[in-house]
Amino acid sequence: MLSGLAAVIALLALLPLGFVVWVALVTGWDTVAAMLFRPKVGELLVNTVLLILLTLPACILLSVTLAWLTERSDMPGARLWAWLSVAPLAIPAFVHSYAWISLWPRFHGLPAGVAVSVVAYFPFLYLPVAAAFRRLDPALEDQAASLGLPPLQVFCRVVLPQLRLAICGGALLVGLHLLAEYGLYVMIRFDTFTTAIVDQFQSTYNGVAANMLAVVLVLCCFALLAFETLARGNRRYARLGSGAARRAAPVRLGRAKPVCLLIPVITALFALGVPVYTLGRWLVAGGTQIWRLNDIGLALGQTLLLCLIGGVATTAAALPMAWLSIRRPSRSNRLLESFYYLASSMPGVVIALALVTVAVRVVLPLYQTLATVLLAYIIMFLPRALVSLRASIAQAPVELEQAAASLGRSPAASLWSVTVRLAAPGAAAGMALSALGIMNELTATQMLAPNGTRTLAMAFWALSSEIDYAGAAPYALIMVLFSLPMTWLLYSQSKRIAGR
Amino acid sequence: MSFLNIRSLSKRYGTVTALDDVDLSVASGSRTAIVGPSGSGKTTLLRIIAGFDTPDRGEVVLDDIVLADGQESVPAHRRGIGVVAQDGALFPHLTIEQNIGFGLDRRAADRPVRIRELMDMVGLDRSMLERSPDQLSGGQQQRVALARALARKPRLMLLDEPFSALDTGLRAATRKAVAQVLSDAGIATILVTHDQSEALSFADQLAVMRSGKLVQVGSPQHVYLHPNDVLTAEFLGEALLLPAQLDGGQADCAFGRIAVNDKDGRGPATIMIRPEQVVLMTSPGLPHSSGDVPTVEAVVVGLDFCGSTSELLLHIGGDRRISLRQPSSDAISVGASVAIGMRGTAHVLKR
Amino acid sequence: MKVTNSLTLALLALTASVAAVPASSHAQVADSITIYNAQHESLTQEWVDAFTEETGIVVTVRNGSDMELGNQIVQEGAASPADVFLTENSPAMALVDNAGLFEPVNQDTLDQVPDHFRAADGKWIGIAARSTVFAYDKTKLTEDTLPKSMLDLADPSWKGRWAASPSGADFQAIVGALLQLKGEEATAAWLAGMKQNVTTYRGNSTAMKAVNAGEVEGALIYHYYYFGDQAKTGENSGNVALHYFRHQDPGAFVSISGGGILASSQHKQQAQAFLKWLTGADGQQILKDGTSFEYAVGKGAASNPALVPLNDLQAPDVAPASLDSKKVTDLMTEAGLL
Repeated sequence: MLSGLAAVIALLALLPLGFVVWVALVTGWDTVAAMLFRPKVGELLVNTVLLILLTLPACILLSVTLAWLTERSDMPGARLWAWLSVAPLAIPAFVHSYAWISLWPRFHGLPAGVAVSVVAYFPFLYLPVAAAFRRLDPALEDQAASLGLPPLQVFCRVVLPQLRLAICGGALLVGLHLLAEYGLYVMIRFDTFTTAIVDQFQSTYNGVAANMLAVVLVLCCFALLAFETLARGNRRYARLGSGAARRAAPVRLGRAKPVCLLIPVITALFALGVPVYTLGRWLVAGGTQIWRLNDIGLALGQTLLLCLIGGVATTAAALPMAWLSIRRPSRSNRLLESFYYLASSMPGVVIALALVTVAVRVVLPLYQTLATVLLAYIIMFLPRALVSLRASIAQAPVELEQAAASLGRSPAASLWSVTVRLAAPGAAAGMALSALGIMNELTATQMLAPNGTRTLAMAFWALSSEIDYAGAAPYALIMVLFSLPMTWLLYSQSKRIAGR
Repeated sequence: MSFLNIRSLSKRYGTVTALDDVDLSVASGSRTAIVGPSGSGKTTLLRIIAGFDTPDRGEVVLDDIVLADGQESVPAHRRGIGVVAQDGALFPHLTIEQNIGFGLDRRAADRPVRIRELMDMVGLDRSMLERSPDQLSGGQQQRVALARALARKPRLMLLDEPFSALDTGLRAATRKAVAQVLSDAGIATILVTHDQSEALSFADQLAVMRSGKLVQVGSPQHVYLHPNDVLTAEFLGEALLLPAQLDGGQADCAFGRIAVNDKDGRGPATIMIRPEQVVLMTSPGLPHSSGDVPTVEAVVVGLDFCGSTSELLLHIGGDRRISLRQPSSDAISVGASVAIGMRGTAHVLKR
Repeated sequence: MKVTNSLTLALLALTASVAAVPASSHAQVADSITIYNAQHESLTQEWVDAFTEETGIVVTVRNGSDMELGNQIVQEGAASPADVFLTENSPAMALVDNAGLFEPVNQDTLDQVPDHFRAADGKWIGIAARSTVFAYDKTKLTEDTLPKSMLDLADPSWKGRWAASPSGADFQAIVGALLQLKGEEATAAWLAGMKQNVTTYRGNSTAMKAVNAGEVEGALIYHYYYFGDQAKTGENSGNVALHYFRHQDPGAFVSISGGGILASSQHKQQAQAFLKWLTGADGQQILKDGTSFEYAVGKGAASNPALVPLNDLQAPDVAPASLDSKKVTDLMTEAGLL
């Protein structure tokens, strides 16, 4: 029954992908060709490819450098810099670009797209790379040195290959965000497939051009996924041997310390300083009159409620699969689980477009209901809940339940007193992470939300689109404040996973 | 003709003294074992010799070249010292072939040949070349690690508890094989271990470490039979420690009057007898002397059967009890009267 | 379905307890209407607040853009939850009207605005109007260097010098007028030239801000963005002046914001009352006194005195009901502007 439930949820999650395939099939080839092979699609493709080719290496370079400095060197304040390297996640991507164009209105196009993307998304790479650094067994580096390799070569031939999994995973995450993001690129005037789909949506609702662009966007996602699989390879990277690895002695930076210190300082300046400064400036400039408490209260209330319901729904939807993947690991369950990840790698705009069409044409009663937007959230944020749940269910091996049973507890009681108790923190973390995603979601919410809905992100977007930057500031501030604790959670979770 | 010289080496980590004024010499082509309980500083000593750590004070000189003088230190990659770590530290992302060839020039024409020679040298089947490390058993991984370290023809080989992760049977076999390979190659070796039997069987020279100090250095036999103090005596093997009254080469103790290795000492002292010196006779009522072995009567008050051997708890006159491991025998049971005696000379421990 | 509805209700109920009596909390109440609003959110909010205060009819607003909501209504068909549809421009009105989804507007409401500001079939009515302008950087352009006609902007000499927001309904309405006035071929050619010349921004405010900051010399937008900004701090329009093309040029196009009632509405009475109020004295007064700076269209209703009078604009004669939005987006998609 559990597998049946997990399969149904997987099918629901795959709906957008199915929609894209269906659209491509039912649309006549002539139309498809006319919509795909036109200069605009070429422009967008060039933009998207350049964006990814420039942003990913920059993010990788920055996060590996930062992770090395914070985890492996004797840089003063390493803990602080580590936290500050994760903190930019608390700022929604579109607030990053709002901050930059407030400061530098002419900033636009590819350079701006790359720069803002790097500061908004590098923490997605920093987190896994820093965790990988903590897990690395320094004995391997000692060993390489004893085999005659100077430090730089040790780094390239021993350390980097072991970071490969973390780098690939993080880069994939960043890449998928680059493909899916809307607000960030609209503000700095850089066209991607996602912005073009929204343009088309606003001009024609779910017209054929929008759907065809969605097909290309999905193909881009697949290309990214395939590239990641290829780059990851199939070699084992886990540490061999038993016992805990010795902790690496920090590398002395010596005279290079001031120069090295500049790297996290400058990063924090751009990724946190710029948004904080701009927000502060607008808040001061706007004074008390931008705090329209009725509007803000309404948006806050609606957002929190959506976050709460969405967080619970997403976690509940992830539960059957999380349970199966830990307690009944099998090839078919692994395959099923991979569908969850595949489904959620689809950009929000594609998911929303699919759900709009399916709801309007097939299940009209669900159209414009909370259910539809919740489904979109579930599809988008399932992996966040799944990963947290999996980790926590794994903390409660079946042996513990058996032990409880042997001590006289009924099956239900032992499930409650052991597994549920142990898994609860993970479930809470999963909910929190999904809720964070929902709070900052813009594209799908705008397209799917029930009539009268106005979330913080929607309000921020509406105001900043009319260049009421001051009026938008309170909304941005609230989003950041609510995101901070959840970002902290993410940070401490990554430390715990790495065993420290 | 010492090859490696360590003088007055000290190292602190925060408030913990890891090494305290350590001196050690290693002859070329010889095998030294550094043994001590965990936390005694032996791994620190090894890491300083390898160049992974720098000492606070003291010198490391290899073949007349100063490798470390206080905090001035030649980095590990320029020392030409081979290291085999506790669990092999094979690179998980590389194949066996790539692991062994890691330190070899990648463009060298004879590289594949060298790798295969090394495989043969450590007794690994060539079919394993393309495997990844996690497909090998622990013993095989250690052989790969050894081959990898040998590839660069090191002047000195450091083994950091390389056998501790292996199961008992495999441990002895691997240890013998490694010792053989290193002897054949004529490479001076230092083995760090907390397993005293491993140290004793491996080394020409045994160095006992405790609390950051080298407390005794000498041949394994000498250190085993003539430990400087109680802790060393007990660390290297089971020891019967008995109070005795010395009397110029003789001593009176629970065994009666026995020979000791202190010709001049007089008065009370502690003597040490290794269990293998003890002879146990099951027939009661024997005279106090059986041939040249002085004996004393005892009662078995505890017996712990462990298969081929049994652990006996014996009550010797007064309220003295000693425990003794002996080959298992039907004839012994709790309550039985036995006679025990000792062979050879007892060792007088320093105060 | 029951579950979904009760969830929605729970959402609304809880939301109501969080904020002070928001409009949306009464969506299910009988005396209420739902508006699909493509007009500026702030203007519609002013209207809705005043209307609710006066009549007690509660209004739920779904915001979107003209063509998004227009197409949405067409897809929703008879199931549309919308009672009233308000736009910034008339092409989306024509789209819904052509799909046969509008209820006739009451005659006494229609009588409140002149004939040329409403659909000939009486299915929708003008609620406000806006004029196309060329907002230019007065430090860079002078009387004699300004374009004489909007058509000049496709000329290579204007390459890289002007801005627009082609993804917006406003601009698409202007293209719709061009299409009606000059035909498909000329429009396609103009769009092709524009693609070469234009710097695109999202939103007319953003385009004007760019002009003010000296990024481009001018922008083809509507008039009220300038006045709105001037009325606030003027920080985005200090260097900007407006150029009206006049002479029945396509660039002198006056676009009509429309309002219509859905035939599928369950609250037609309240919806009719809303449109009547909107086009009556009270609704039009808000256009004069408020911060929108759009033109009032009611008979005898005055617009904000700061504006150039409607009658002086020499707008071309365009039939708002036959602006072909589908053709416009197709042509713009073809030109690579979308």
